[in-house]
Amino acid sequence: MKILAIDTSCDETAAAVTEGTKVLSNIIWSQASLHAKFGGIYPSLAKRQHEERIDFVIEKALKSAFPKITNHQSLITNHITAIAVTIGPGLAIALEVGIKKAKELAKKYNKPLIAVNHVEGHTLSVLARSRNSKFQITNYKFPALAFVASGGTTQLILVKEVGVYEIIAQTSDDALGEALDKAARMLGLGYPGGAILEKMARLAKAPAERAHLHDVSSRQAHYNLPVPMIGQENKFKFSYSGLKTAFYKLIELTKKKGLGKQQIYDLAASFQDKAFQHVERMIKKTIEEYPVKEFWFGGGVSANIELRKRIRNICKNQGITMRLPYSKKLCTDNAAMIGVVAYFKAQRKEFVKDFEKIERVPRAKIIDASP
Amino acid sequence: MEIIKTGNLEKVVDVLKNGGLVIMPTETVYIAAVDATNERAVKKLVKYKNRPFGKPFSVGTTGLEMMKKHVEMNEAAENLYKTFYPGPITIVCQGKHKVSPGIESEIGTLGIFVTDHKLTIDVIKKLGKPITTTSANSSYKPRPFKISNLFKYLSKKQKAYIDLVIDVGEIPFHEASTVIDTTLDDPAVLRQGEIKLKNKVEVLSRSEEATQNTGKELWQKYEKHQGQRAIVFALVGPMGAGKTVFTKGLAKAMGVKEEVVSPTYDLELDYRLPTTNYKLIHIDAWRMSSDSELAELDFAKKITDKSVIAVEWADRVAEEIRKHNEEAIIVWVKIKYLPRRLRLAESRLRRAKGRSRAKAGKDNDRLISWGVI
Repeated sequence: MKILAIDTSCDETAAAVTEGTKVLSNIIWSQASLHAKFGGIYPSLAKRQHEERIDFVIEKALKSAFPKITNHQSLITNHITAIAVTIGPGLAIALEVGIKKAKELAKKYNKPLIAVNHVEGHTLSVLARSRNSKFQITNYKFPALAFVASGGTTQLILVKEVGVYEIIAQTSDDALGEALDKAARMLGLGYPGGAILEKMARLAKAPAERAHLHDVSSRQAHYNLPVPMIGQENKFKFSYSGLKTAFYKLIELTKKKGLGKQQIYDLAASFQDKAFQHVERMIKKTIEEYPVKEFWFGGGVSANIELRKRIRNICKNQGITMRLPYSKKLCTDNAAMIGVVAYFKAQRKEFVKDFEKIERVPRAKIIDASP
Repeated sequence: MEIIKTGNLEKVVDVLKNGGLVIMPTETVYIAAVDATNERAVKKLVKYKNRPFGKPFSVGTTGLEMMKKHVEMNEAAENLYKTFYPGPITIVCQGKHKVSPGIESEIGTLGIFVTDHKLTIDVIKKLGKPITTTSANSSYKPRPFKISNLFKYLSKKQKAYIDLVIDVGEIPFHEASTVIDTTLDDPAVLRQGEIKLKNKVEVLSRSEEATQNTGKELWQKYEKHQGQRAIVFALVGPMGAGKTVFTKGLAKAMGVKEEVVSPTYDLELDYRLPTTNYKLIHIDAWRMSSDSELAELDFAKKITDKSVIAVEWADRVAEEIRKHNEEAIIVWVKIKYLPRRLRLAESRLRRAKGRSRAKAGKDNDRLISWGVI
C-alpha cells in the first residue's frame, strides 16, 4: 500500500510517498534547510508560497518515488492507494493549502483520504525506514516514551501502542527549539539559530574550576544560569521563559565587560546546557513514574548531537532502547512521517468519511488523533 | 567537458570568465561554480541543476570586503562572520542586486557562503567576482562527495552543461554549511522605532504573577467593549520581558481554560471561550519582517469580526495595527526591565523608610506602561 502524504503545517511545503513504514521519497521545500535553499525563512506570505510550491513538491515526490515510471499522468491512479494530509497543529492558513490539495487529489483520483496529526507524525518518525532497508522495525515494545521537540512543540508523550497516547508533559510557554532559536538571536546570530548555537557551544572552553568534571558539556557550561523548574519536575511541565529572561540579562551584563568570540561560545554552551538539563531531569522523572520500555526522540531538535548524547546516556543507564529518525530529513517538518502515521491509520480503517467535513485543526492534540 | 585532477587556477578562471560551469571541490562538497554576475552563466546553471523557478543560489566571496559590496551587512551578519569565520556557514543578508538575476531570492536576499577553502578563495580572487557555491548535485539528489557519485545521478543533457571538472577524489566528511538569516534584524524592519505613549499609566511588576495580574486588570478595564469593537493589546518589550505572561493573565481573566503558550512558531494561536462565541487571538510578530505578514493573517477580518487580539512584538508591525485605529480599541502595552539605576533608587527609598532588609531591585522587576494612542 503506497501513500502520497502532504504536510504544509508551517513554513515548509512537504510531500512524500511511503509504503508501509518505508520512505520511497521525502521532498521538502525548505526555507531554512542545510542545503542552502534559503529564500527568506520567515513565513512571508505563507499561504501564497505554499500554493506556489505544492504542485511542484508533489510532482517531485511522485517522480522520485517511481523513477522508472515515465507515464506521470497515471502515477496516482495506478500506484497510489491513499492520500494523507496533516490537519494540525499548525498555522491555519498554511494547513488549509495542503488540505485543499489533498482533497482535490482524493476526489479526482477517487482515493481514500487520511487525516493526520503533525505531532503524531514526529512521534512515529522513528519507525520510518529508508527505501533500501531490508528489515522493518517490528520489535518495538510498549509503552514507549516519545519526546517530540521542535520549534513549535515540546512534549513528552506516552505511547501505549500506535494510536493510543497520553501527554505526560508539555511546555507552558516556549518550545525548546524556539528557545534555542531565540537564544541565538539574543546573541546576535540571526535566525533560525538553533543549529548555529549548537556549533558554537562546541567551541566553548572549560573554566578551570570545572575542568575536573567528567561530563564535557557541564564542564563547558561556564556561566551561571538557572535550570528551569528545578526540583519541580513532578509538575510535569516544561518552561523556558525564565531561562530566556535570565539569559537576556546575562548577555546585557556580559556586553558591558566585552562580548568577544569566546564569550559567545561560552554563553551558547551555558544556555544549551541548562535548557538540556531541564529535559534530562524531566525524562528521568517520567521514567521513574512510568514503566517505559523504549525512548523515541523526534522533531527538529532531535538533530542536536549534544542532546542526543545526553538522552542516550539516560537510556543506557536505564536499559531502555532509544530510537531516532534515520535521517535528518525526518527530524524537521516533513511529509514522510505523515505517510507512516497514515499507514497505521489505514490498517485501522481510519479514513475521512466525508471529504467536505475535513477541516484544519490549528491546535490539534495528539490524544485526539484517533477516534 | 574536461576533467583535470588538480586545481589549475588559470584554467578554472578562464572557463568561468567565459561563462563556463566548473565542478570543483570545497571543504564540504563538490560545487557547481559559475560567475555569479554573468546572466548567461547563471541561466546555464539553473538548467544544469534542474531547479524550479525562483530558488536562489548562495555565492562565495573572498571575504568581508567583497561581501560588503554585494550585501548589506547588519550587526547580526557582522557578528556571525566574526564569530564563526571560516564557517562553514551561509549568511543570508539583504542583497545589493549586483549579481545576475536568479541568484538572489524573490525578496532580494542573498546568501553568502563563508569559507577559507584555498582553491575557492584563489579562484574568486583571480576572477574578481563572486561565484556560485551551490552543491553540484541536481536538485533533490544526494550531495556529491565524489565525482563518480555525482555523475551517477546526472542525465546526458545535464552533463553537457559542464565545461570543466576538478576531480580531487573523495572529499572527507565535513558538516554541511548552516544557513542563517540575518535580515530579520535589519534596520528596515526595526525602523518603526519606539512607540510613544501619551497619558500612559505605569505600574511596577515584581513577579510573573504581578505581570499576569496587570493583564487581568487591563481586561477588566476594556471588557465592556467586547463584542462591540475589536480590542487589540499591542505588546512591546524585549526578549523575556513577559509578553506571553501578560497574555496568560489576560486569557485567564477572559475565561480561557487552556494553557496559553508562546505563539512564536505558529504565528497565531486561537483560544475559544467556553461559554461564548468569543475568541482570544494570540499573535506573535517576532518572525515577521513586514506589516504585510500581519495583514496576511487576515488581520483586517479579525478586526471587523470584533475579536480580542493580543499581538506580541507589536512594534514590528505597528503600521498595520495603526491602520485600524478608528475601528478598534488599540491598547499599547510596553513592558521593560527596570533600569538598574531606578532599582537602586527605589531600594534606597525603602531603606530610608526603615525597611532595611529590602533587597536592592530584584531581577524580576519590570515597568509595565500602557495607553491608547
